[in-house]
Amino acid sequence: MINTIILSYITFGYFGAFLFYLLLMFMGRTVFGRIATFVAMSSLAAHSFAVILRWVESYRLGMGQPPFSNLYESLIFFAWTISFLYLIVEWRTKNKTAGAFVLPLAFLAMAYASFSPNITSRIQPLIPALQSNWLITHVITCFFAYAAFGLSFGFSIMYFLKRLDTQTSHSNFLKRIPRAVILDDLNYQMVAIGFLMLTLGIITGSVWASNAWGRYWGWDPKETWSLITWLVYAAVLHSRMVRGWSGKTIALMSIIGFFCVLITYFGVNYLAGLHSYATS
Amino acid sequence: MTTTQSKVHTQGVWRFFSSVKLTFVLLVILAVVSILGTLIPQMPQRESVEFAQRLSPGTFQLFSLLNLFDMYHSVWFRLLMGLLALNLIICSLDRFPATWKRFSAAPRADRNKPFQGLSSDRSFFISESTKVGASRVAHFLADTYKKVARVDAADSAYFFGEKGRYAHFGVYIVHLSVLIILVGGLVGSFFGFEAFVQILEGEKVSTAFIRNKRIPFDLGFEVRCDKFFVDFYESGAPKEFRSDLTFLLNGRAVKTASVRVNHPVEFEGLTFHQSTYESVPGQRIHLKISTKPGHAEKINLVVEQGKPVQLPGGEGHFQVAEMRMMGPAPAALISIQPGQGKETRFWIFKDYETVKQRLPPEMLRSPKFNPAAFEPYRFYLDGVETGYATGLQVSRDPGVPIVWIGCFLMIGGFFVTFFMSHRRIWVRVSSDGSGSRISVAGTTSKNPVGLERELGQLTADLKARSHGTEQKA
Repeated sequence: MINTIILSYITFGYFGAFLFYLLLMFMGRTVFGRIATFVAMSSLAAHSFAVILRWVESYRLGMGQPPFSNLYESLIFFAWTISFLYLIVEWRTKNKTAGAFVLPLAFLAMAYASFSPNITSRIQPLIPALQSNWLITHVITCFFAYAAFGLSFGFSIMYFLKRLDTQTSHSNFLKRIPRAVILDDLNYQMVAIGFLMLTLGIITGSVWASNAWGRYWGWDPKETWSLITWLVYAAVLHSRMVRGWSGKTIALMSIIGFFCVLITYFGVNYLAGLHSYATS
Repeated sequence: MTTTQSKVHTQGVWRFFSSVKLTFVLLVILAVVSILGTLIPQMPQRESVEFAQRLSPGTFQLFSLLNLFDMYHSVWFRLLMGLLALNLIICSLDRFPATWKRFSAAPRADRNKPFQGLSSDRSFFISESTKVGASRVAHFLADTYKKVARVDAADSAYFFGEKGRYAHFGVYIVHLSVLIILVGGLVGSFFGFEAFVQILEGEKVSTAFIRNKRIPFDLGFEVRCDKFFVDFYESGAPKEFRSDLTFLLNGRAVKTASVRVNHPVEFEGLTFHQSTYESVPGQRIHLKISTKPGHAEKINLVVEQGKPVQLPGGEGHFQVAEMRMMGPAPAALISIQPGQGKETRFWIFKDYETVKQRLPPEMLRSPKFNPAAFEPYRFYLDGVETGYATGLQVSRDPGVPIVWIGCFLMIGGFFVTFFMSHRRIWVRVSSDGSGSRISVAGTTSKNPVGLERELGQLTADLKARSHGTEQKA
């Protein structure tokens, strides 16, 4: 199918954008930044086009379902939300330094989706449990949460790198990373957006589960891991209230939080539970 | 214990529970222990028993003691949640008076402190008098802020406006919503239940079984499964499960409904969800009978197991005595009772050709497997209609509406907490040489970047108005 071919090429688009962002960080020439943004935006545009194409294709196959129904499609959408959210943040903050830290996530998700032999890129019809109007809202809210947490992860890595930038260091790369206070603030904003979205994702999931399985909460491993993630980010948000707990705690907790996100997303497929349709 | 001592103790306890550090620690502990339950398969999963059997007796005892096979319902897990709830309540109570003060405080408009260290681009010069400048500022601010306080001094005028005072309560809304959700969960666990019924097509039941406990539960009405449908995609993946149900009160059918996955049905306060299904050999069997010579003509018959049917030629009766799977193929035991003489019994198979390859020929030569053992007939098994038994979850949870209210409140609370802030704006018009100077300053409860943007915009707007009128003049 043409959409999967386009999507596999977009993998390289994000990789290219990442390289230009990296060049910008090392060389500091603004032209690299402009090229990077251009490549990222074109990739995102093509990415959106391919996703819509896939949606249309599913109608042609007589299924007519949103492209969020298996692991392949969810990875594609994950990459989309990350690059979309990143470009918004870049545009709002007028700062291109995070691209080198965030776009690799989009690239990796695309590469995993397109080139892993275990992942089928076919459009598969929906099993009864997934035939619900809640599918779209649940998936969109969850993945925007994951993407926001992905960005927060990027900012946290940058935060720790920035700490290496002392008076005596001569690394221009480190010098170009924004000040720790700014990173901390951006990190907080991403965690707040992610937390809101994750909450919405859990709530929509609960309403859906209540319809499909007859209970809104059942301690299924995926549900439990989403709660664990929620608790960790709740801790991140509260840690800002503790006097003397600098950005370091928050950055560290955000990194741990993102690992929880990854377990919620992927790891849970190896644990028994009802969410197993997301495995292939 | 004396009263002062107990007071000291209460204060200590209060201080302990009102700390955000405790919140942080409890959140992290809850997160960490929750992981355990995703690694140890929880009851009532089948894996849980298998997992428990692999443990050494000592470990098993320890795990059982700690309730690790059903840890989310254990006392200690609930205790942790209770501690978090207590922490949340005391934290909120502890901080509320200060919040109320910030909410209700009305700062004076003629303060100079906010203007200390003001950056140069937050003030500008106009060539008019303070009076003219102040009246223009007053007009402009009245459009932007709801209530604007004004204080006039000798050579200057001060204005104060604010926005989003209610933002201070966002956190309390979120905390309240957490408590409401927990209450909803408790209500569900005390007054709700989950039960399960299995109904064969065409049959009715009035008893369900409480999940995990196998306690019978009287529904108070009868449910009949009229039909169960299952549909598959070409790939073999399931497409649809559907049970057509009829609900009977005192033997009278009062409601018919189809239950599908994602489309539960409610009756008398109980909700029915499509949960499982089982295919069972049905009662109706499709047969063909032919007669000698040539066996050219075949008669189609649908018979029910165990019910005698007359032979086409009237020589007696036959019936399907038993149905069984023999290897891959269904087999029927035909029993023929002629008018006179002995009973003849033999097995017939569906798909005889494959059976011939699978079973030993000596066996098939035996009269027990001869479909033409009773002259002049020959029997063929065309198929068995599969019947289904539908598995339905029957539940009632009065806590659900409470939980949804909590969820709504939580989302609302987040919007207030994350996206609203209490912004206070001061504008000062003071005489400056031949004209006057307008300065803009402000404070915010959060999001300083947003405040800077607002102050910048405000300064630019005021400047544009002032200079606009100046040029006209």
